Amino acid sequence: MVSRWMYISLVILYGFLVGPFIIIFMASFGANANLAFPPQGFTLDWFANVFERSQFIDSFWVSLRLGLLSTIVSLVMGMPVAYALTRFQFAAAGLVETVFSAPILVPGLVIGFAMLQFYVRLGDLHVMTVLFIGHTAILFPYSVRVISASLRNLDPNVEDAAISLGANRLRGFLLVVLPNMQAGIAAAFVLGFITSFNNVPVSLFLSGPGVTTLPVAMFSYLEYHFDPTIGALSTLLVIFTIALVQTAERLLGLSQFV
Amino acid sequence: MPHLEIHDLTVSYEKNQPTLERFNLGVEQGELLSLLGPSGCGKTTTLRSVAGFIQPDSGRIVIDGRDYTRLPPNQRDIGLVFQSYALFPHLTVFDNVAFGLRMRRISRNKVRSRVANALEMVGLEAYSKRRPAQLSGGQQQRVALARATVIEPQVLLLDEPLSNLDARLRVDMRQEIRRLQQQLGITTLYVTHDQVEAMSISDRVVVMNQGEIEQIGAPESIFAAPETPFVADFMGFDNHFSAEVIALRDSQLTVEWGGAPIELRWRSKFGPPQRGDRAEIFFRADDASLSAEREANGLAGEVILHTFHGNELRYLVETEVGEFNIMQDSASERYTPGEAVIVQPHTGKWIAIFAKREQPA
Repeated sequence: MVSRWMYISLVILYGFLVGPFIIIFMASFGANANLAFPPQGFTLDWFANVFERSQFIDSFWVSLRLGLLSTIVSLVMGMPVAYALTRFQFAAAGLVETVFSAPILVPGLVIGFAMLQFYVRLGDLHVMTVLFIGHTAILFPYSVRVISASLRNLDPNVEDAAISLGANRLRGFLLVVLPNMQAGIAAAFVLGFITSFNNVPVSLFLSGPGVTTLPVAMFSYLEYHFDPTIGALSTLLVIFTIALVQTAERLLGLSQFV
Repeated sequence: MPHLEIHDLTVSYEKNQPTLERFNLGVEQGELLSLLGPSGCGKTTTLRSVAGFIQPDSGRIVIDGRDYTRLPPNQRDIGLVFQSYALFPHLTVFDNVAFGLRMRRISRNKVRSRVANALEMVGLEAYSKRRPAQLSGGQQQRVALARATVIEPQVLLLDEPLSNLDARLRVDMRQEIRRLQQQLGITTLYVTHDQVEAMSISDRVVVMNQGEIEQIGAPESIFAAPETPFVADFMGFDNHFSAEVIALRDSQLTVEWGGAPIELRWRSKFGPPQRGDRAEIFFRADDASLSAEREANGLAGEVILHTFHGNELRYLVETEVGEFNIMQDSASERYTPGEAVIVQPHTGKWIAIFAKREQPA
């Protein structure tokens, strides 16, 4: 009866994963001033409230800009590193790989605190600049890893084949390697963006007066209010993330790289 | 003058440990020459040097009288076929084959007709819109062949092109490559570790070992008359023993076998042998037979093992000279382990080889 036990465990597991969200989802339509379950009455006021509060709107744009910018920069920086790691054998390759995966392994709070201490000493940097540097640094290893995975799927001889047919190194890369990296780059983009957009610990330390990211804004809102607005916003964010991942999966088969 | 000339080529990956040292080779116009040897013998290094992917320490590579040594690989007029096919996965069969022509800025109409022609030659004209992933291994290797030959290169280089195919397909593709090569009359260097493959496809075979040429010649002559113990071993001479030369006469020499003299052909890379030299004697498992009764020139032995090989039985026989593998027709008389037998030599195909002459003290 292995399959029955597997089925039951699966239901329990999904229950614990999805259950809390169902509560938030339903409570966000409740008419009570406090987040309550089961909800009483029905209203869309909390959704309206999300769009009326400037701290959410402003921080959403900060998060969006930050996510796009740091993802793109980490990809541009990650591509040559991934290429070098997969194509050339050099003594320090193992060390380089370990260093690049450090931000994945070190707890986010530690990174955030360390970055704060470091950037303060760098002088009077704009909050947005600091956030951008911090996010790029944590996304960089993801970019390297996902792009490396897509490069490892490509026979290294195809480059030599292109060269033997008359292409120089650059054209060989552009005409043969790059097109085969596309799916990997797109996957790294989606992953990177979601990682940046959802990040709390690093943003928490690096945010400053007037500039904050959406998750941090939600966090501080919760400190003073306990109304279903956060539920409504969470619902919107979940829908946004699922839509993004689904689109990527449909278009690119994202799951083969993660 | 050979079409492809390699002069004094020296390549080392590590300092003072050259993979190739002052290596010389010439391939004639339209010839298919195989480099045959175990992995690490320098055959792939030679091929990649000709392709330009390895920069030699010294020496020259000349094709059609033009010095290629310092020419970057994308400016060499060479077609290259890989073991892994190395097709461009994102391009169709047509675009794969057209790649080299487009790099040469050939007009669109000519590209179309030349690609169509090349695909027709390998029997894939119906597959031009497919992607490599939609083709079988043999079809992929055909595309790779068409891609490498459509540019009409001076020299075609094939690096273990059949190693990823299954045994039956390998035989078909072997014939396909040979047919295409002869039709195009293209000078070809073919790297393989498979003795049968090299024998069947080549005009000449070069047997390589540790960066040096052990023997070069037509497949038949290498198969029948290896010049070194290494080549004999590689060509499937399963049995080997050493014996003293007791008499010498032109192309024949005499050694002792089971108390009686036998006459054998000999080969030496180091000048003619003398009486009293030690000869290394090689013979294949089917160039001897077993009998229960002693005939002339028989050597007594004992059966240790027998294994079944379809039409033949293979015996391992222990004698005072050494252990020998002997093939017998499975219709002939059977012997069981422990049984005493006489090993009868069929000396016509046996060969005595002289390794390096011992230096006189």
